[in-house]
Amino acid sequence: MDFDAIVVGSGITGGWAAKELTEAGLKVLMIERGREVRHQQDYSTEMKMPWDMPFRGAGDSDLYDREYAVQRLNRHFTEFTQPNFVNDAQNPYQTGEDTRFTWFRSYQLGGRSLTWGRQAYRWSDYDFGANARDGHGTDWPIRYADIAPWYDKVESFIGVSGAKEGLKQLPDGQFQPPMALNAVETHVRAQIAKRWPERCLTIGRTANMTEGKPEEGRAPCQYRSLCARGCSYGAYFSTQSSTLPAAMKTGNLTVITDAVVEALDYDPATRRVTGVRYIDTKTGTRKTARARIVFLNAGAFNSVHILLNSAPGGLANSSGVLGTHIMDHANTLSAAALMPGFETHTSFGNRPTGIVIPRYRNMDQMDGIGHTRGFSFQGGALQSTWTQGNRMAGIGAEYKEKLRHPGPWRMVLVGFADCVPRATNRLTLDPAKTDANGLPQLRIDFAFGKEEHAALAQAKAEAAEMLTAAGGKVLMGFDQPGPGGTAIHEMGGARMGHDPKTSVLNKWSQSHDIANLFVTDGAQMSSTACQNPSLTYMALTARAAHAAVGMLREGRI
Amino acid sequence: MPKIESPIARREFMAGMALLAAVAPALAHAKAAPSPYQPLLREVAQLVIPRSATPGAGEVGVGAFVLLALDHGLEGTKGFDHAAWLKTALGADFLVKPLARRRSALAALDARAFAGDAAAKPWLAIKHLILLGYYTSETGGSKELQYVHVPGRFDPDLPLKPADRAFSSDWTAVDFG
Ligand SMILES: Cc1cc2nc3c(=O)[nH]c(=O)nc-3n(C[C@H](O)[C@H](O)[C@H](O)COP(=O)(O)OP(=O)(O)OC[C@H]3O[C@@H](n4cnc5c(N)ncnc54)[C@H](O)[C@@H]3O)c2cc1C
Ligand code: SF4
Repeated sequence: MDFDAIVVGSGITGGWAAKELTEAGLKVLMIERGREVRHQQDYSTEMKMPWDMPFRGAGDSDLYDREYAVQRLNRHFTEFTQPNFVNDAQNPYQTGEDTRFTWFRSYQLGGRSLTWGRQAYRWSDYDFGANARDGHGTDWPIRYADIAPWYDKVESFIGVSGAKEGLKQLPDGQFQPPMALNAVETHVRAQIAKRWPERCLTIGRTANMTEGKPEEGRAPCQYRSLCARGCSYGAYFSTQSSTLPAAMKTGNLTVITDAVVEALDYDPATRRVTGVRYIDTKTGTRKTARARIVFLNAGAFNSVHILLNSAPGGLANSSGVLGTHIMDHANTLSAAALMPGFETHTSFGNRPTGIVIPRYRNMDQMDGIGHTRGFSFQGGALQSTWTQGNRMAGIGAEYKEKLRHPGPWRMVLVGFADCVPRATNRLTLDPAKTDANGLPQLRIDFAFGKEEHAALAQAKAEAAEMLTAAGGKVLMGFDQPGPGGTAIHEMGGARMGHDPKTSVLNKWSQSHDIANLFVTDGAQMSSTACQNPSLTYMALTARAAHAAVGMLREGRI
Repeated sequence: MPKIESPIARREFMAGMALLAAVAPALAHAKAAPSPYQPLLREVAQLVIPRSATPGAGEVGVGAFVLLALDHGLEGTKGFDHAAWLKTALGADFLVKPLARRRSALAALDARAFAGDAAAKPWLAIKHLILLGYYTSETGGSKELQYVHVPGRFDPDLPLKPADRAFSSDWTAVDFG
């Protein structure tokens, strides 16, 4: 099989790579390790009610202990979404002795584009400049101006709803009309702005469309908030709803599912990759595919795994930093509060996004306590329903009557703190343990440091302060991050940089060592910012694809 | 049927739904082995959520659901026989007592558990499972409370009147409420 390009992975970034490369006229092979999931046909639980499910949506705890021991720790993993997450027993990985790392994964066509939370935020120059400014990690070879047009392109295509706020730290984008704040959120926004003019509570910028794209078969959001089951309306961005149909339309795309890429083939004479080796998991046979360029989009850690497994010491690793400087946002529930005064207010419908309070620390002044970067909050206000009964004494008629009506309003703020890149946080191949395909298991060594702890301590204090100022009664809050992986923003391992001696990729997401190899998923990240990263991965993927096509045309690769 | 504004999406959606019905394997309903505790759990569920304008928890099968859930370790119940414990805690003659005494015995156990009495603690998980069973049943979820699978819109601020019923389909509230 010979192609112009091979794209490994069909998730958020693989879909973008395939779309951009096929639209430029290249013949592309997309290889996906998981099963096929067809849009509108294979979202098997989408229309199920809780009473249709054997375990009412909570799922079979025994089964989850045995086979989904990691995935079950993720709030988005339920009996409804279980088909869209990996079976941990079948997909094992190792962690260092002192490491707790929960690696949340979706191995199927569409990857985590089906399960993601859809929060889509631009990075700013505070973020691209962070490493240069405080000396952690290596300087990004790009700045906001390099990526801004690609953000425009991606947002317009996937459909992002949001409100323009004119913030330097969270640049506005090409937004569809925003979803609305509820009564409590509107109040809290105003109270925060009054006391802290530099802090802005705004509606989450989310890849859920408020306006349809009929020409692409995508309807506007129906406010179900069932997204991770898959959405037949195509109202949120996924590979299936958006990039895959566009790529298919070109006639230039071939997709293979149930095929695990184990390694890249490398020709030392030309210093080029010639293609990939993969295992057809339905038959257990090993195959190869050849192409002029390869895009790795297997998800940050899996792309690094493929590189580590492609040559002793790792392919494209003359720098020696492959696998190092992995990161994930330090993430915790910073505050939950009761919000009295809204007893006569309610809302209707399930808005599939919350609110965000963008970073306001360490911008033009270094005013963080014990840390030099940012933290931000996501969350929202909600009215309790029957689950409040879990905390309520009582039985009988009166108890049932209480649970019949909406309970008090609460507001939660979940903190996401910048994670400092560290050489000691790294991926390696386990020397002994293999998986069912006979491939070495990935080993993760990871710990947060004093910077993340300091940021979350400040986040906890300030979350409580803001909710109190808005009339809330704070019930609880935490300042310790969940284990690495909790934010599901794992990234790094093949970082971008100016210098081939200290980085794996150049500013085009292209290997310094191997000119026809591009890594455009989270592996390329040199820092984390405190925003959700996938919009940036998409923009960098589109940018890299454009550059790669140019280089091919000019005969440079 | 859900309201879809785009005609193309609607057509595709319908086609998809038809296929979905044809393709999706019927979800097998898990069943616990018949249990000697069935009558006890049915009665206890009914005492927690009795009949009002809508049926109570025992009447809609929540006793059997709790036993299934205990069998599969939901709510952290693995490794401890909650049903046997409940029988002991309420006394062997519980089911033959008059209703008022059954009610007061259970209310007392519930009060102890919520007051932090460690000896009564297993009750909390059983109660959680009764609530889960009831409010995710068709009766509890959609007759006692309201259930809307496809709201089709978001109204951010509506007046709430005392008689208004809560939504069992408010997923964020179920999670964080
Ligand atoms: C519950 C949840 C909520 C999230 N919320 C947000 C959010 O709100 N905002 C945000 O920005 N991000 C969010 N994320 C993170 C987001 O999903 C990821 O950043 C994003 O999906 C990464 O894109 P990707 O293309 O690199 O990887 P993925 O989307 O994970 O896709 C990788 C694909 O590659 C395949 N693959 C892996 N290894 C191989 C191999 N060896 N051979 C062949 N195929 C392979 C996988 O099966 C998968 O399909 C969330 C994630 C989850 C799970
Ligand atoms: S909330 Fe909107 S995007 Fe999510 S599943 Fe429903 S219709 Fe689709």
